[in-house]
Amino acid sequence: MTSTRAQEVLYESEAALRLVDHELTGMRDVRDTAEGSARVIPMLALSELPQILEQANAQILSVLSRLRESRAALQTTTLEKLATTHEKIREVTSATEDAAIDIMDACDRATHMVDELDAIDAQASPDREKAGGIRANLRDELFLMMGALQFQDITSQQLSHASAVLVEMENRLLDVAKLFDQNPDDLNSVSEGAPRAPNETTYDPNATTLNAERRQALADEIFTAVRAPAA
Amino acid sequence: MKFLVVDDSATMRRIVINSLQRIGFSDTVEAGDGQDALAKFDSSIKFVITDWNMPNMSGTEFTKVLRSREDGRQVPILMVTARSVKEDILTAMEAGVNNYIVKPFTPQVLKEKIDALLPAAAA
Repeated sequence: MTSTRAQEVLYESEAALRLVDHELTGMRDVRDTAEGSARVIPMLALSELPQILEQANAQILSVLSRLRESRAALQTTTLEKLATTHEKIREVTSATEDAAIDIMDACDRATHMVDELDAIDAQASPDREKAGGIRANLRDELFLMMGALQFQDITSQQLSHASAVLVEMENRLLDVAKLFDQNPDDLNSVSEGAPRAPNETTYDPNATTLNAERRQALADEIFTAVRAPAA
Repeated sequence: MKFLVVDDSATMRRIVINSLQRIGFSDTVEAGDGQDALAKFDSSIKFVITDWNMPNMSGTEFTKVLRSREDGRQVPILMVTARSVKEDILTAMEAGVNNYIVKPFTPQVLKEKIDALLPAAAA
């Protein structure tokens, strides 16, 4: 169920609750006396009571039905959003670990190359050409380590998206709380203290470290098919 | 040849700049978003590498504004971004970028794209 539908159901629940409130107020039929100070509650005609109670019962049943639907809607929407957030955070963990392993592997290879260079230096007549080749490979490894750090930018965007979802969920729960609270204004201070969502222009909700080659191939294919503007 | 590298991530700017140095381009200017990039762009800049998602002004907005300027009409613009759905790539093309690199990228891909646009940059 979409968040729009959830909001509609909440709105309908609120309307039904107001209707019940109106019916109950009608049952009391409170009116001021001519003096305006004392209040009297007139006796209801006994014959009207079953009908009024039946109406109230119908409204309460309607409200209960709406509340069940609201709960289901909220539950579904919340679970969908939280599942996405969970997936993003899981991907961040995975990307971080993959980058760490790549860097550690490169460190191992670099250390081995330094050992090789030491061995060459220890020779009576060092093989300069071989040493030069190892140094070039060593630079490549160091460069690869740096490239692996790109995960930081992408995971940062993924975390921004997860943060935005959590803020949205918090706001939605506050809206529900306000719906049932007798003094919704009391919750305004909670709203004011709530964290603000990251600027949505600063991250891509679909940012990922996965399948980079396939995604690059898609971009290349599009740029080939649709001629890029001449530079 | 002077490059303008635009990205709100300092890590990414450094990676791109180090990559450029490695393939022989050491003259670079950095900017943290589109607005900053517009302020720093001048006729000495011969190549632009920009991210998409940035505060204040995005990479596509920056590209459009740059393309509307006389001094930015011809400069090669390479977008380096995490966005990679077809619609995004087409949007970037329409904005005026000359080529597109998906993050995370390899130094080889960066070199290929720059090499392909160098004749235009040198013109």
